[in-house]
Amino acid sequence: MMYEFKASDLAEEIGVRRNTIRDWIRTGTIPAKEGPGKRYMMDVAEYIKLCDKFGRVPKVDVNMAIEVEEIKSLAEMENGNHAIDLNNRKTDSLYTDPSWADACLTCGTCASACPIAGVDDLDPRKIVRMAMFGLEDELVDSTWPWKCTMCAKCENACPMNIEIVALMRKLRSKRERDKVPGPIHKGVATCLERGNNLGIPKDDFLFLLEDLAEEMQEEGCPGFTVPVDKKGARLLVTINSKEPFAEPDDMKFWWKIFHTAKEDWTVASENWEGVNWGLFSGDDKSQKIIVGRIVDNIEKLGCEALLLPE
Amino acid sequence: MLEYIQSGQITLSQDFHTMKATYHDPCNYGRKSEKAFGYGYYEEGRIITKECCADFQDMEPNREFNYCCGAGGGAWALPYNAERIFYGRVKARQIEDTGAELVIAPCHNCRDQLMKSLNKEFDLGIEVKYLWELVADSLVVPGQEVEADKETAE
Ligand code: SF4
Ligand code: SF4
Repeated sequence: MMYEFKASDLAEEIGVRRNTIRDWIRTGTIPAKEGPGKRYMMDVAEYIKLCDKFGRVPKVDVNMAIEVEEIKSLAEMENGNHAIDLNNRKTDSLYTDPSWADACLTCGTCASACPIAGVDDLDPRKIVRMAMFGLEDELVDSTWPWKCTMCAKCENACPMNIEIVALMRKLRSKRERDKVPGPIHKGVATCLERGNNLGIPKDDFLFLLEDLAEEMQEEGCPGFTVPVDKKGARLLVTINSKEPFAEPDDMKFWWKIFHTAKEDWTVASENWEGVNWGLFSGDDKSQKIIVGRIVDNIEKLGCEALLLPE
Repeated sequence: MLEYIQSGQITLSQDFHTMKATYHDPCNYGRKSEKAFGYGYYEEGRIITKECCADFQDMEPNREFNYCCGAGGGAWALPYNAERIFYGRVKARQIEDTGAELVIAPCHNCRDQLMKSLNKEFDLGIEVKYLWELVADSLVVPGQEVEADKETAE
């Protein structure tokens, strides 16, 4: 067993100066070696000898030998008391690559980097460990994956490149769809059905675009129109449905830039939604369908570039 | 997401925004883009912002090490408001430390969190603009073009 000490503590114990202790260690008078954090380590037996020599009472008890019986009874107690049987848990449904959790050093760097660690016991390190132990149900039922913003601050700091964000998203995707918090799954469903997250009808949308274009003409952009479904336009512009819904004037910022730059652009009359909530809700299938529709629009209209709202 | 700058088609002026400005790095354009596509968009937004604002001050830390606004990952739409605001305290402090009156957000989500939530919750007294809003408000016709195109492939 090792006795761990600081030079200053041992100096006080023995009644010498700190530098003296350091000298002794350096010259081998005290058989200690350097440990982490300006500490030293020496064998307990050596420490006791040293104390004897200087007539001091050792701080540690020599009779620290552990009773075998005691260990046995502890082990028995534990046997009857398994809170969770980790051996019967499977992890392969949550992840298959060791870089998702197994390689974790449990260093806690991720938790230090995370701005929301500690809130409702959210802790990326703990989540990674739980994933490794196969505590899938507990994780999927928890609110943690949804309170995490998937900002990747933790992952960026992690020395082992653990895929923390991918794990979070996987946990989100394992939630039953009707238990996805807030409106994001509803948005995905609406988008699949009606082409945008908020279910804005095509006629309303086109009418709004025309209306806004007229306003633009009055506001110093003579001849401005919103080119809808223009074949061969260079740039396809998608839109965040919150804008036509609640903040239509905000669309004009881009339009003003296009107008001034004489950009050749267009908006699709259908499936113009540019926000893909499948990314957040963990819904790969829907996410793909929605992306596919944008790609369809690009191909149909022959555009070269795509503008997404965010 | 791909953002590029060409020269020629529009001119920007710094006369419209004389206040001190700063730029928020969205996680998705930076860290996560770097991971998914091998490139993080840190400089593009800054170049454009500086074209419009002479008095520019970066937040600390920034770029790859920037803190999330707190509304990422759909959190703006999720029901955990207290958590979202608590999360944003770090961002609010960063903004305060720059002393900026104008914060440029190149992302819808970040802009909503900064403008509609943090500004109020933490008494920041800031103005928040989209990057393209800043550009639209700084246009001088005609001249040099700054155009931001974004592309994602999932
Ligand atoms: S930073 Fe990486 S290695 Fe360290 S505890 Fe977190 S996940 Fe594990
Ligand atoms: S990705 Fe989630 S867990 Fe990681 S630092 Fe961001 S909020 Fe915290």
